[in-house]
Amino acid sequence: MSSRSEAVAAEIPRLRRYARALLGDDGEADDLIQDTLERALARLPQWREGDNPRKWLFSILHNLHVDGLRRRSRRPPHVGLESVGVDQSSPSADAASGGDIDRALQLLSGEQRRVVLLIGLEGLSYAETAEILSIPVGTVMSRLARGRDRLRMLVDYEGGDRNGRLSLRRVK
Amino acid sequence: MTGPQRITEADLHAFVDGELAAEEKHELEAALAANPAEMTLAREFRDLNSALKARYAAKLDEPLTPAMRVRIARLRPGLLRRIAPVLRPIAATLLLLAAGVVGYFAHARYTEPVEHDPPFVVTALAAHTTYVPEVRHAVEVKADEAHLIRWLTKRIGTEVRAPLLADLGWKLMGGRLLPDHGLAAAQFMYEDKTGRRLTLYLRKEMGLDNTSFRFYERDGFGSFYWIDRPLAYALSGRVSREELMSLANAVYAQLETPPGARDPPPASRDAQPQPR
Repeated sequence: MSSRSEAVAAEIPRLRRYARALLGDDGEADDLIQDTLERALARLPQWREGDNPRKWLFSILHNLHVDGLRRRSRRPPHVGLESVGVDQSSPSADAASGGDIDRALQLLSGEQRRVVLLIGLEGLSYAETAEILSIPVGTVMSRLARGRDRLRMLVDYEGGDRNGRLSLRRVK
Repeated sequence: MTGPQRITEADLHAFVDGELAAEEKHELEAALAANPAEMTLAREFRDLNSALKARYAAKLDEPLTPAMRVRIARLRPGLLRRIAPVLRPIAATLLLLAAGVVGYFAHARYTEPVEHDPPFVVTALAAHTTYVPEVRHAVEVKADEAHLIRWLTKRIGTEVRAPLLADLGWKLMGGRLLPDHGLAAAQFMYEDKTGRRLTLYLRKEMGLDNTSFRFYERDGFGSFYWIDRPLAYALSGRVSREELMSLANAVYAQLETPPGARDPPPASRDAQPQPR
């Protein structure tokens, strides 16, 4: 019991990091983590020792998130780049002036954002990402390529210093 | 891979994300060396990953929210219903322990140093290095004097407890009252069989939010500190970081336990000051 609980507990910080980046809001992220925890702990007896806790928990989180999006359709969807256009008056300009990749991320579609974050932030493999999101590896790769390209358009590198920090500029 | 000359974007992503086998990787590295533009693109993809990690790094440090702890605690009744009544008290205890383990590990696991250490930890470590070498006057009030806890509780202005670390080989020597930027602070001192000393420093914290464990180090002395309002704590000593960490975990776990659940309440503890 305790070793499995520990395995779950050990993943909480990473789950929160991912949820925060995915949702762009601390409160919503923590709500999602709470739901994930509840579902995970309730299912702990079914979880086998050999199973990868990270993959399992991210899958639970993903499914809850998708369910939540379906249920809470009153919540305005994230605005994709297609509909916004990339010009100085768009939110991307704010993202850039705020110097924050967080804002830029929210301009990706949810599908792209998940893949970009699971791979780029959480360091999961393409295969793990495909399993978590229940999509083929090929789809993971195409979403990753499109998502990263978009994100790259929204941020501009000024050398990318040793800490990997980016200097963001307004998109031309 | 499509050969050394032609590099696709998919290759670049796979390269950056560590998806290539060793041979493919070397092949691509060689191809990139001859393609500065592709090299730049690969670096940009990699920088993007680093930027994401840097942007959200602080999230790894956050302690569980009270709401999360409540959620974990609320799991108990649902599970208990499926357990035979006779076994329920045992099951409840186990679940409480499990919830504690979850909270405690999530809380304690990430202890990266932060750039700005709050002043209280600096003061705590200064107090540590001042009083630890004392032979005759290491503490102001000895642990066996009945009023130690009562006195410090009164002066600090909130309930103060001295965790018992005897199980881990550290005996409580006593404590003292200290000034800390206009506030009253308390220092408890512990000693092990080999004469090593440890201090737990605490004072009221009204400004800063709760934190997880943070590590502060100076001149060979280390300090794990955390804020669990209304108090801020710093556990200091010249012991290994790992040992200090496990002691800090023990202190945290004891202080998390409501008074009476594990320890005698302060009043009765005063009456039997050396519980072990």
